[in-house]
Amino acid sequence: MKSNELYSEESHQWLVLGRDPAKPEKIIDTNQYLIKSAEEAIILDPGGIELFSPMLAGVLHHVKLENITTLFASHQDPDIISSLGLWDKTVPNAKLYAPWLWEGFIRHFGMENIQYMPIKDEGGEIKLGTATLKFIPAHYLHSSGNFNVYDPQAKILMSGDIGASLEHGDVPLFVENFAQHIKYMEYFHRRWMPSNRAKNNWVARVRELEINMMAPQHGRIFKGEMVNEFLEWFSKLDVGIA
Amino acid sequence: MINSQQATSAMNNFVRVANIITNLDMILSQAKNLSLTAKNARVVALRAGDAAYGFKPITNFIDEFSEQTIRTTSEISKLSNQLFTLALAVVRCTDYQYQLTKAQSTSAHKCVITLQQQSLMDLKQKTRNLEQAIFSLESYFEDIQKQMRSAEYIAVTSRVEASNAGEFSHSLESVSDFIAEAAKKIKKAVNDNLQEIYKLRGALR
Repeated sequence: MKSNELYSEESHQWLVLGRDPAKPEKIIDTNQYLIKSAEEAIILDPGGIELFSPMLAGVLHHVKLENITTLFASHQDPDIISSLGLWDKTVPNAKLYAPWLWEGFIRHFGMENIQYMPIKDEGGEIKLGTATLKFIPAHYLHSSGNFNVYDPQAKILMSGDIGASLEHGDVPLFVENFAQHIKYMEYFHRRWMPSNRAKNNWVARVRELEINMMAPQHGRIFKGEMVNEFLEWFSKLDVGIA
Repeated sequence: MINSQQATSAMNNFVRVANIITNLDMILSQAKNLSLTAKNARVVALRAGDAAYGFKPITNFIDEFSEQTIRTTSEISKLSNQLFTLALAVVRCTDYQYQLTKAQSTSAHKCVITLQQQSLMDLKQKTRNLEQAIFSLESYFEDIQKQMRSAEYIAVTSRVEASNAGEFSHSLESVSDFIAEAAKKIKKAVNDNLQEIYKLRGALR
């Protein structure tokens, strides 16, 4: 599994892990994010069962196992958190932050040791070392209980399925040409995102945030001006269409 | 180290446990029917009066062994829930071992090796727990087998008594037939389960 650093300061670092060359062909590629401070680390959307072993090997390159104190699941989908039963044995003392709505569902993945920390609908925040991570509500985008993670210091928004693109092959890490990138995102957003109202509400709230990087769970990451281009495009997109 | 074949085998064992539990439901339902049959037979024997004099004590026997079978099966049902949990724990531990084996093929990190050693110990413990539960289950099934041998004997005796019950012969003969049929079904389910247990024990070794 490849890993790339997105942000690095003394307080904490952001890494993206993904694009595993050994990934079975028929499963969707996913980006997993690791944020680490000197003593603690959080994995955002740790991924599915199929990716657990490369993820574990990848994560251990960067953090000690005992430093993985927290997991975050933006929503309940299997590509997000079906590896939970395996992480539960690997980091039994960790906490899982996930939407309150999905607790009874996510526990089906197997959770005997990790503590479920339900995130209220209005969101919340946690500390990682000196850094603060905010849970930004993104309900109905696509899941009915759904959160993004915003880091005001790094100015990174982990946007879950928002901004996701479905491309095959060895895809570059960042969006280089927005117009050319639309074809990889359009169907996904029209089909997976069910509500224009929820979408417009999210766009309005996210425009208030200072964002250098918007990091989705699938495909390329938006950097700099590409973030605004995405927000502009998404605000005009009619979603909830099969 | 666990390979994909061993992970599949753990899942097959889980399916065996599921088969055992399905058969248990069948045994319990047949035992309940037997109990009901004993009650019906008692009513028919009372109506028949002296003509079914020899049949009356038989109804007590039917009642006794059906109640015994229900009790045993209910005990097994409690154990079977535990068995499911234990079998699932073995599947999860095996899967975890398999995933760690895959992780080790790409990373020689000492943490992965430590996790693998710990999880192997955990797997051994969970497998031992499952073996113990299976051992208890086996003894319950042996009890049911004994009860069914009594049932078959009673079916034969009751048929003889039924033939002397005049106009009630037909009703009482159908009781005998039902006991014989239920005992046969229960015995088959028990034999199937003992075979599954035998395979399960072999696979867990």
